[in-house]
Formats: sequence, structure tokens, C-alpha cells
Amino acid sequence: MDNTKEILTLAVEIGDAMLRCGAEIYRVEDSVIRILEAFGLDDFDAYVLSNGIFASANESREDACSVVRYVPLSATHLGKLAALNQLTRDICNHKCSVAEASERLKQCKKIPVYANAVQLLACGIGCAAFTFMFGGHLPEALYAFFVGLIEQLALFVCRKRKVSRFLTNVYVSLLISLLSLPAAAGVIPVLHDKVVIGAIMPLVPGIALTTSIRDFYNGDYLSGTIHLIDALLTALCIAVGIALPILLLRYGGNLPV
Amino acid sequence: MSYVLQFFIAAVATVTFAILFAAPKKELVFCGVSGGLAWLVYFILYRQSGNVVLGSLVATFVLTILSRILAVARCNPATIYLVSGIFPLVPGAGIYYTAYYLISGMPAKCSAKGLETFEIALAIVFGIIFGFSIPETLFHKRKQ
Repeated sequence: MDNTKEILTLAVEIGDAMLRCGAEIYRVEDSVIRILEAFGLDDFDAYVLSNGIFASANESREDACSVVRYVPLSATHLGKLAALNQLTRDICNHKCSVAEASERLKQCKKIPVYANAVQLLACGIGCAAFTFMFGGHLPEALYAFFVGLIEQLALFVCRKRKVSRFLTNVYVSLLISLLSLPAAAGVIPVLHDKVVIGAIMPLVPGIALTTSIRDFYNGDYLSGTIHLIDALLTALCIAVGIALPILLLRYGGNLPV
Repeated sequence: MSYVLQFFIAAVATVTFAILFAAPKKELVFCGVSGGLAWLVYFILYRQSGNVVLGSLVATFVLTILSRILAVARCNPATIYLVSGIFPLVPGAGIYYTAYYLISGMPAKCSAKGLETFEIALAIVFGIIFGFSIPETLFHKRKQ
């Protein structure tokens, strides 16, 4: 095997891409190992963490090589994950060569997110739907719809300016809290709490919690802990963002919030 | 009728979140169905027993099984359906009320809500763990 390096790099690249779009550790590790096996390597090791990949192959031979990758926590992209999974499956069924696989990997990485307008509308409708599910009625849902629209706009801005994840959560939940103050102060006759609950749903760390549990379940305690702390801190940031404006108004403005 | 409405609204909510997380277009409907069903299970159990934790546990379990069945049937990672469908069950309301009671000087209510939020999170944890503890082979047999 003279292309050990090429194969190992491809396998780790695919693993890297999967990790970036939110796969759990076990899936990434399993995929890397299966790809290496499918291309005929038998002496290798792969270790995956929630923000790094370490892999080596043919340690004891002449063509020994190893790859180390740093993978920062980033936004979940389920479409890429599905495409990468399909690619891994095809490689394991020996349906594509190393060169073809690298070409397909490039295409997988280019899969776009939904258009901004679609995301905007989705966020608005999602917030409205959650408000309704958690006991709001039509006026609350309508209010949450508009809060959701502005919220997604703020998320776009934060993403563009590359604001850190925690600050994004604080800023956006601050915004939600501010936007819902007219309801809290009784200017607009809707239930304040239902609007806020619906509107914070896009920020709530559901994915981090789920991934964390699955990592723990598969015995990847370190990665599970990282995701769990991520989930807890996100929840804390939301709580701080929501509470601050209410506190300020209650003691500064003497409003019955 | 109210059940149908709840299912429908939860399905819509799940689909919008699947869009925010860039799920493949073909899978959106399946994400919606899994999220809707999970919420329906939660809603019915909550109505019948008044117990949020039990509802979350069973609903997460059902969602995990459903995600795994869909994963095998649609040749996709279970993550896609699980991650979108979990949102209706995640205790977002708990986070809000805990923070709200904390700043409102109601420590008893705050700790009660905080504990409930923690219990719901634990219920979700065990729902997923029980769902994944069913051996993979069972799902593959069903496919034939």
C-alpha cells in the first residue's frame, strides 16, 4: 500500500466533516475505522473527541503515518451529516475509489443551508407553534411569531460578526426579553411567559443535551462531559439574558413586571 | 380533535426546527411526524397522569425508537430525526420559570421549578438510553 497517507487523510477528513456538523463521537469513530478497513488497511488506530481527531496507520511499517485534527464546536448541519453518512456507506460497499470519495467529500462540504428568508420564516413559525404548544393562544402565538422573526435576524447578525456562542445566547435572549416587555408590563394584553418560552426555543440546548447523552451511553465520557457543560452553560446564558431586563425594569422603572 | 391539533402544531414546530438545522428536504416530513408523535405521547400522558417527568420519559423513549426505525427505513443517521424531534420535549419552559422565580424573590417556587427542570432533563436522558439499549438487530429484521 503506497497510498496509506492518502487513505488516512481521506478518512479523517470525512470524520472531521461529520464531527463539525454535529455527529456523535461513536458514529465518527466508527465511520473512520470502517473507511480505513474498506480501503484495505489493517493496522491502525483512531481516537475521536468532541473537538479533535487523532489517527495513525501502519505504525510498524515503512509507510507509517498519522493525522491530528482540531475540530471546533460548530453549528449543526443535518443535511451534510446525511450526505456524509451516505458517502461512508458507499465507500464501505466498495462503490467508490479514494479519488472519487475525495471529490464527493468536497461536494458534501458545499451543501448549503436553507435560504435566509426560509430560515427567517421557519424561526417565526416555530416560535409561534411552541408558544401555542406550551399553553399560549392565538394572540400569544402571533406575538411570538414577530419576536421569532426579529430573533432570527439577530442570530444572522451574530453569525456574520462571528460573535461567540455564549454571547450570542445572552444577546439574543436579552433581545427576546426586551421585545416581550410590552406584554409583561400589560401594554399589550397577552401572556408574557408563554411568548418568552416559545421564543427561547431556538436557543435551548436540545442538541447539545442529546449528543451528550449519546456520548455517555457509548462510553465517550470526556466528549459527553464537554457537550453537557455546553448545554448547561447555554441554559445559564439564556436565563441571564431573560432575567436582566425584567430586573432592571422592576427596580429601575417601578413597573409591575 | 384537540389531539389532532396538538399533533399538527408539534409537527409544524419540529419541521421548522429541522429547517433551522439544515435537515435534508426529503426528510423534513419524517422529522415532523416523529416530533409530532413524541409530543402527542407526552401530551396524552400529561393530561392523564399530570406527571411531567413520566410524560417526558415515555415520549423520549417513543421518539428514540421511532428515530431508529426511520433511520433504518430511510438509510440515514437516527440523529436527524432524534435531534429535531426532541425539541418539543426539552424543558425550555423550565429554564424560564426557574430564572423568573429566582429574580422574583420566590425561592420555594424557584427550587421546585429548578428541580422539575432537572428531573425532566434526567427523564430525557433515560428515555434516550432505554431507546438505544434495544439491540440494533431487531430494527434490521423489521426491514425485510
